[in-house]
Amino acid sequence: MKVQHIQHLYQRLGFGIVPNQLVQITNKDRHQIVDELFYKSSSMTNLSIDTTDLDHYTSETVIGNKKKLFEFRDKSKEKLKAYNLAWIERLINTNEALRERMTLFWANHFVCRDENVFHMVQYNNILREYALGDFGDFVKAISKEPSMLKYLNNKQNRKQKPNENFARELMELFMLGESHYSEEDIKESARAFTGYNNNFEGEFVFRRMHHDYGFKTFFGSTGRYNGDDIIDIILEQKQCARFICKKIYSYFVNETIDDAKVEELTSIFYKDYNIEKLMRHIFMSDWFYQQEHIGAKIKSPIEFLVGICRTVPVTFESSMDVLKIQKLLGQMLLNPPNVAGWKGGKNWIDSNTIMIRLKLPSILLANARISTKEKGEFEDAFEAYITKKRKNKFVNVTVDWETFEKQFADYSINELQELLLLPKLSEGTKTYLKTLSKSSKQEYCVQLMSLPEYQMC
Amino acid sequence: MDRRHFLKQSTLASSLFFVPNFIKAFESLPSHTLGFKRLVVIQLSGGNDGLNTIIPFNNDDYYRNRPTIGISKSDVLRASDDLGFHKSLLPLKKLFDQGHLTIINNVGYPNPNRSHFRATDIWQTASNSNQYWQTGWIGRYLDEYGNKPFNALEIDDSLSLALKGHKTNGIAVKNPYVLFKTSQDPYFKNVLNHYQDEHLSEHNLGYLYKTMITAESSAKYIFEKHKTAVSKQDYPSNEFAKQMKTTAKLIASNIETKVFYSSLDGFDTHAGQLNSQARLLKTYAETMEAFVNDLKQQGTFNDTLIVTFSEFGRRVKQNAANGTDHGAASNVFIIGNQLKTPGFYNNLASLSDLDDNGDLKYTIDFRSIYATILDKWLAVDDETILNTSFQKLNFI
Repeated sequence: MKVQHIQHLYQRLGFGIVPNQLVQITNKDRHQIVDELFYKSSSMTNLSIDTTDLDHYTSETVIGNKKKLFEFRDKSKEKLKAYNLAWIERLINTNEALRERMTLFWANHFVCRDENVFHMVQYNNILREYALGDFGDFVKAISKEPSMLKYLNNKQNRKQKPNENFARELMELFMLGESHYSEEDIKESARAFTGYNNNFEGEFVFRRMHHDYGFKTFFGSTGRYNGDDIIDIILEQKQCARFICKKIYSYFVNETIDDAKVEELTSIFYKDYNIEKLMRHIFMSDWFYQQEHIGAKIKSPIEFLVGICRTVPVTFESSMDVLKIQKLLGQMLLNPPNVAGWKGGKNWIDSNTIMIRLKLPSILLANARISTKEKGEFEDAFEAYITKKRKNKFVNVTVDWETFEKQFADYSINELQELLLLPKLSEGTKTYLKTLSKSSKQEYCVQLMSLPEYQMC
Repeated sequence: MDRRHFLKQSTLASSLFFVPNFIKAFESLPSHTLGFKRLVVIQLSGGNDGLNTIIPFNNDDYYRNRPTIGISKSDVLRASDDLGFHKSLLPLKKLFDQGHLTIINNVGYPNPNRSHFRATDIWQTASNSNQYWQTGWIGRYLDEYGNKPFNALEIDDSLSLALKGHKTNGIAVKNPYVLFKTSQDPYFKNVLNHYQDEHLSEHNLGYLYKTMITAESSAKYIFEKHKTAVSKQDYPSNEFAKQMKTTAKLIASNIETKVFYSSLDGFDTHAGQLNSQARLLKTYAETMEAFVNDLKQQGTFNDTLIVTFSEFGRRVKQNAANGTDHGAASNVFIIGNQLKTPGFYNNLASLSDLDDNGDLKYTIDFRSIYATILDKWLAVDDETILNTSFQKLNFI
């Protein structure tokens, strides 16, 4: 397989490939490489953090005790920061690259946010568990997760007073897309999801007293439907497969949609809604490797950050630093803007985020401060301020250049560019690269990462 | 890496600084096409419950539909025989009494959408509910009548669709100093020095380069303007007040910004609405009072129009969680010193004749408000920007 094609594959389904990994597989063919990637992700490693100090918060101690509940909420928020860091570290270090990549994709599909760390960890691992599984089972599992029941108010959805929030987003954002259902469909399906609830321990609880056992008419058929029935009826709509395939195509292949390719994927996915089969088809297709798709996407903030840290291992000393970076780049894991998630693509880029992106490699790897820390009033001479050497670092990290040097030992400094930049370079950029000093691989690496071209994958 | 080496290199580079033609053209555009009037747009994000904001305290349907969250008569700040303010809105009521506030009731559009995402898109793009537009109404205003990104500023970390045009985007600036300092980075300038026109033709990569160019020159301009301005007004201490203070300072600086955009989030009150809405309305009203005082002190209130909207109102009937679900039409506030119809612009729609979802029916299309502002306040051709002709209103 061509080196560039391997890089493209690893960028899109993982988070890039390191040189010594690349060396090992260049003589294999596409079938072998793709097979191996799926094989590595056939296992699943739950992502958890130590929460034993919160174990004494149970339904017995917390329910009805507001003080205790607030206490739990505060501690839980702190734990979520640690969980955010653990997730980032997982993305950097994982061997189950495809599974983690899919998990990240689904986290921006079944968008959810919760302050309860137990429920959120459980939710996150549900995404991981079903990431390559059966889409129908996936949706049904999501519909019963405590975090989702809270996020879209389905806990408050009762026979006496239906709450449509979940039913609406189920169709608009999770399964069909805008305008492929009626307001009546929403009302009727909301009734089917009544009575869904959960306990503090995170188990699904079905409250029969609150469930509407009456007839519902949904997409033209009538029955005493429950939530799972509604999901099954939606799965029968080919639009559901099309909606998911379009999103997958946009995320994994190209934001410029090729309708014929989406239809090709739809006909495969519609057969059994098996996510793994769908993904395998994409990565085995010749069209996935066409030049127009390579380096054509703008990296998400997380792809960008994780990519840097995979090339040059970085250890963060504080989870706060990692959160700060994510916030400035415009994507904080576990903290989506709303149920529609991040729009992605060009939407990642504005005047503010482009500047921070170009500066981040030097901040992380070269101890450069970034201009985002406020200094109070700014009457004093600005020039003096920027040239003054300051000791307080923007982030506290330990950079493992030794591993980097080992990784790149078999490559010359001139080859770094091909390993780090995927898009075709313009003459201007080539001229710029010539002006850069090539005395050290480390320095050159940071310079390459500071180019707009490095923002592409 | 050796930081000294980098600094040295960047000094060398900046002495050879070559300004690409694209920037030159951009810098030399005249500013005389812009007038002096400014617009401030505020979104109450999440869908504010208009009925508990301006309360129909003599309406039996209101209390029947809201047995536990209806605001009792004695708590209402009466403004007419039928309508009154939520008690958190006392500062706003004062503006109302001074003739600085017009309340337009039942603002919406045909076939209302009840998803936050989509409803916000509709309000920001000014599309019909069955249209999907990639540009915002202020972005298209920039396309036609602005020529610099800072002609429209969003006081936030990130830019909304409202300020994105076909060829011109506004700029998000929460703190002008921070933005400027970031834009002056040596790396950034180095890369720009080697920028070439061929980059522009590339789809996504070209977009990155374009954004860099506009960011650099705009950040500098905004910072230099902001630096000169002073605000003596005290503001409440919260994020929203900070946004409005930055807006006031920028207005005082005589910056060439026609539109300022900011938002206050948290209005999605599906559960336990009473406390959270009271807190948010208080934040809004106290901040607006400070902001208007600030403008008055600067002498810019006369030329500033402030519009507050929410992506939708909420269902007339409350839900079981002492909250309200997503609704449709709601009220819009216009604050200014040149209002033709201070007070209530129109009556509240019927609470018994609701749409199929049990929501208020709209009587005024929100794009009529946009059209009026574009035509009468910003003095531009509203039809070009909105792509359709909407009936103008009479509030300014």
